[in-house]
Amino acid sequence: MIDRLLEATRGKVDGADALWRREEQTAVAFESGRLKSAGISEEAGLNLRVLANGRMGVAGTTAAKPDPKELVARAGASAELGESVDLAFPNPSPQSLSPNPTFFDRTANASLDDLVRMGRLLVERLSRPDCQINVSVQREVAETAVGNTAGARGEYRGTGIGVTADLTRIAGDDVLMIYDQYVGADLPTDADLEALVRSIDTRLEAALKIVTPPDGALPVVFTPAGLAAVILPLEQALSGKTVLQGSSPLAGKVGQKLFDERLSIEDDPLTPGRPLSRPVDDECVPSRRNALVERGTVGHFVYDLETAARAKTQSTGNGRRGIFGKPHIGYTNILFRMADGSARHDVGAQHAAPLPSRELGGGLIASIADGLIVDDLIGVGQGNIISGAFSHPVGLAYRVQRGEVTGRVKDAAVAGNAYDLLKKIGGFGRDGRWLGARWSPSLLLEGVSVARR
Amino acid sequence: MAFRGRRLETATVSEDQGGFVRVLNNGCGWGIASFTSLDEIPAMVTRANELSRAVRLDEPIRLAAVRGGPQTADAILDLDGDVRGVALADKKKLLDRYNGAMLAVSDKIVDTQSSYRDEVSEVWYVNSEGTSLYQLRPEVVVSGTAIGRRDGTIEKGLESIGLRKGWNSVQNFEDQFRVVAQRAVDLLDAPRVRGAAYPVILDNELAGVFIHEAFGHLSEADFVYENPQAREMMTLGRRFGKPVLNVGDNGAAKGLRGTLPYDDEGTPTQDTPLIKEGILVGRLHSRETAAKLAEQPTGNARAISFRHPPIVRMTNTYIAPGKKGVGFNDLISDIKLGVYACGAFGGQTMLENFSFTAGWGYMIRDGKVAELVKDVVLAGNLFQTLDRIDTIAGDFTWNQMGGGCGKGGQFPLPVTEGAPHVRIEEALIGGDV
Repeated sequence: MIDRLLEATRGKVDGADALWRREEQTAVAFESGRLKSAGISEEAGLNLRVLANGRMGVAGTTAAKPDPKELVARAGASAELGESVDLAFPNPSPQSLSPNPTFFDRTANASLDDLVRMGRLLVERLSRPDCQINVSVQREVAETAVGNTAGARGEYRGTGIGVTADLTRIAGDDVLMIYDQYVGADLPTDADLEALVRSIDTRLEAALKIVTPPDGALPVVFTPAGLAAVILPLEQALSGKTVLQGSSPLAGKVGQKLFDERLSIEDDPLTPGRPLSRPVDDECVPSRRNALVERGTVGHFVYDLETAARAKTQSTGNGRRGIFGKPHIGYTNILFRMADGSARHDVGAQHAAPLPSRELGGGLIASIADGLIVDDLIGVGQGNIISGAFSHPVGLAYRVQRGEVTGRVKDAAVAGNAYDLLKKIGGFGRDGRWLGARWSPSLLLEGVSVARR
Repeated sequence: MAFRGRRLETATVSEDQGGFVRVLNNGCGWGIASFTSLDEIPAMVTRANELSRAVRLDEPIRLAAVRGGPQTADAILDLDGDVRGVALADKKKLLDRYNGAMLAVSDKIVDTQSSYRDEVSEVWYVNSEGTSLYQLRPEVVVSGTAIGRRDGTIEKGLESIGLRKGWNSVQNFEDQFRVVAQRAVDLLDAPRVRGAAYPVILDNELAGVFIHEAFGHLSEADFVYENPQAREMMTLGRRFGKPVLNVGDNGAAKGLRGTLPYDDEGTPTQDTPLIKEGILVGRLHSRETAAKLAEQPTGNARAISFRHPPIVRMTNTYIAPGKKGVGFNDLISDIKLGVYACGAFGGQTMLENFSFTAGWGYMIRDGKVAELVKDVVLAGNLFQTLDRIDTIAGDFTWNQMGGGCGKGGQFPLPVTEGAPHVRIEEALIGGDV
C-alpha cells in the first residue's frame, strides 16, 4: 500500500512520506464485578505527507479501499496553503533496524476466554463488601508500515495488552476510588495480576481511616502515579516544539545542571516488551535512546522531522502520526534512571512491573516527621503547565506522621513548582514500576506546600 | 487548520468513515464490533452476535422502551453556510485574521495557537425494533490561545467558540480574540491569588463548567445504576442545595453544540430537570440504565464516533437563572473580601471532589471588583459547595465553547454549559499559601 501510494506521488510533488497502520482490538469489560460486554474493533488507515514547492501538505483516510490519486490530490491542496519548510526525508538506514521486541505471539493469540479469565481473576481477588469493582482487559495487535520517496522503509508488528482495575467504595458522602493498571506487550503473568491486586489492597487498607491533613511546607512522597503533576512540565519543556516557539523555560539551558544530580530521565523507544517501543518512528527515522536529563543536567530536546528542520538540528526519532493530521513530536517510553548514592541502578529494562511491596511510599517515609504520600491529584494537566507551577487538590493521599502512614487525607491541596522541587530530591523509592509508558519510582520532594481547608 | 505563532501548521481535509454494531441476546451481554471497512458489515454483525453469546449473564440486561415507540425520521440540522462549500484558502484567511488579532496586541505575546475545525457528519442509525434515523450534524470550532511572556513568567489567554452550525456563524470574532491576548499580557503583572477560603463569585462560563463537571457527572445514571451506595448518595429527593438552585440538562435546546434531535440509541432528546429548588429530582439515562432503575430514558446515550459504544453523557447542562433583575452587583455588594473567578482553563472531578482552574480572577474588596489575580484554582467538595450557593443572578448565558467532555476514553464530546453569575458563600481557592 505504501509503495503504491508513494508511486502515485511521483511527478506530482517533490517528495512524500506515508504511514499505514492497521489495529485490531479485543476487549472485555466487567462492570460492578460481572462480565458485561465483549467487543472487537478494527481500524485501518493511511496518512500521506507531501512536499510541493517547498511547502508541506497532509491528507488521511480510513476508506476501506483508498484511492491513491484522490489522497495525493488532497495532500497537494493542503500543501498549496502550507508554509515553507526545508525538510529532507531520511535516506534508507545503512544498518538494519533493531529487531523489534514488542510482538508477542502469546498476546496476539490469546483467546476471548483467556482475556475473560484474567478479568475474572482480578474481580474475584478484589471483591470486598461495599466496594464496586470494574475491570477491563484490552488486547491490541497492530501492524505499521512507513516509507518515503528517499527510499526508506520500515515495517513492524506490535502487541499490547492493558488490564485496568478500579475499585470504588462509597460510605455516606465519602467516595474512595483506587485505580491501577498493567500495560505491556506481553501477557501479564498471574504474579503480575497478584501484584496489581496487592497494590490496590495496600492503598485501600491505608485509606479506610480518614485523618486531618497537615498544613505548611512539608516533605511529600509522590508515588509513580502521583508524579504526573511534577513530570508533565518537564515533558512539555523538553519538547523541541516548545523550545522552538520560545515558550520552554528550559530553552538555551542544555548542559546546565538544573536538577538533583542523581536524576536522569530518558526516552527509550527500544525498551523491550513495551507497547510504545518501535524500531523506527512514524517518519522513517531509526529509533534511538535519548537522554532528556542526565545526572541533573538538561540533555536533549526531542524533535520530529519538521521541528528539527526548523531548529536546524536532527530528528531524535520522536515523530508520531495518526491517520489524520500531520506528524508531531511524541515521547515513547520515559524512564527514570537514578544513581542513588554511589550505586547506579539500571532499572528500566524489565518486561513488567516488579512486585509493588505491601508498604506505601517505596521506603521513603521512615524519616518523615509530618508529611504526605500523594498517589493521585485532581486536575493534573490543567492550567499553565509549562511554567512548572502546579496547585491541585488531592484525589488520593495519605498522611505520614513519625515515619508511619496514619490514614487518608481529604480536603487538602498541594502546590509547588516542579523545576524547583526537582533541584533537591529527598530520596528515590524502591518501588520503581511501569505506569502506562513511564517507568519511575516514588520520589520524596521537600518543601511542598500543603493546604487544608 | 492550525496556526502556531505566525506559521500555518496544518491545513487538511480528512474523510473518516466506519460502522458500529451492538448485539444483545437474551440472557447474554453486549457484543460489540467497530470497524472502518464498511464493506464488511454483514461479517461484523456476525462477530458482534458471537461476542454477545459468549457473555453469559445471570441477571439479564433490559432496555427501557423509547417514548413513542420506534422512530423514523430524517433530522437535518441547520448548516448555516455549508462548510463543505467554502474553500480551504478562505478558512485560512479567517483563522489568520483571528490569530493575527492576538499577535498584534503586544510584543509580549510570544506565541499563539489557533485552530479552526469544521465537520459535517452523516449518521445513520437503525435498530432491530424498527427505528431508522438519518441525521446530518454540522459542527464548527474556532479556538485561540495567546501566550504572553516576560522573562520567566508565562501566562495565557484562551478563546474558544464551538457551534453546531456552519461558516456564517464564526465570522466577526476579532474583538474576542484581542481581549484574551490582552488578558494574557495583563496577567504577567498580576499577583497570584493568596490561597484561602473566600466568598467566591463564578462568572457564567466557570459556573457552567462547574455544574457540568462537579454535579453533572454524578447525575449520569451509569454512575449509580449498579452501585447501591452510590444510589443512596444520589437518592432522588435528597437536598443538594438551597431553594435558589435549579439545574437541568436539555439536549433538545435550539441550536446549541450539545443539541441533537435523537441520541445515539435513537431516543428523542429532552429537557431533564436534575435539581429543582435545591432538591435532586432526576438523572440522565441510557435505555439500559433507565430500565435498571425503572425510570424513563432521557436521550443521553451518546458516542463520540463509530469507534465507541453509546454511554450516558450530558448534552446542554445548565444552572437556571435566578430572579429577574438580580445582577452581578447584587452578588458582590456585601462582600468585604472575596474572589471573582472567571473563565475556565479546565476542570476535573473525582466524584465528590473537584478542581477547576479559572482563566483569571479579580479580588473583590469592600463590595467592588478590585485587582486582577492569577492562578485561581477552585477546589472543594461537591456537596458542601453546592449547598453554599446562596445567590444566583438573572443574567443567564449559554457558553458555546470548543473542546468537549471526556468520559470512558471518549473525548471530545460536543456539549454546552449555561449559567448565570453564581455566588458561593465560601470556597477554597488554591494558590500561594
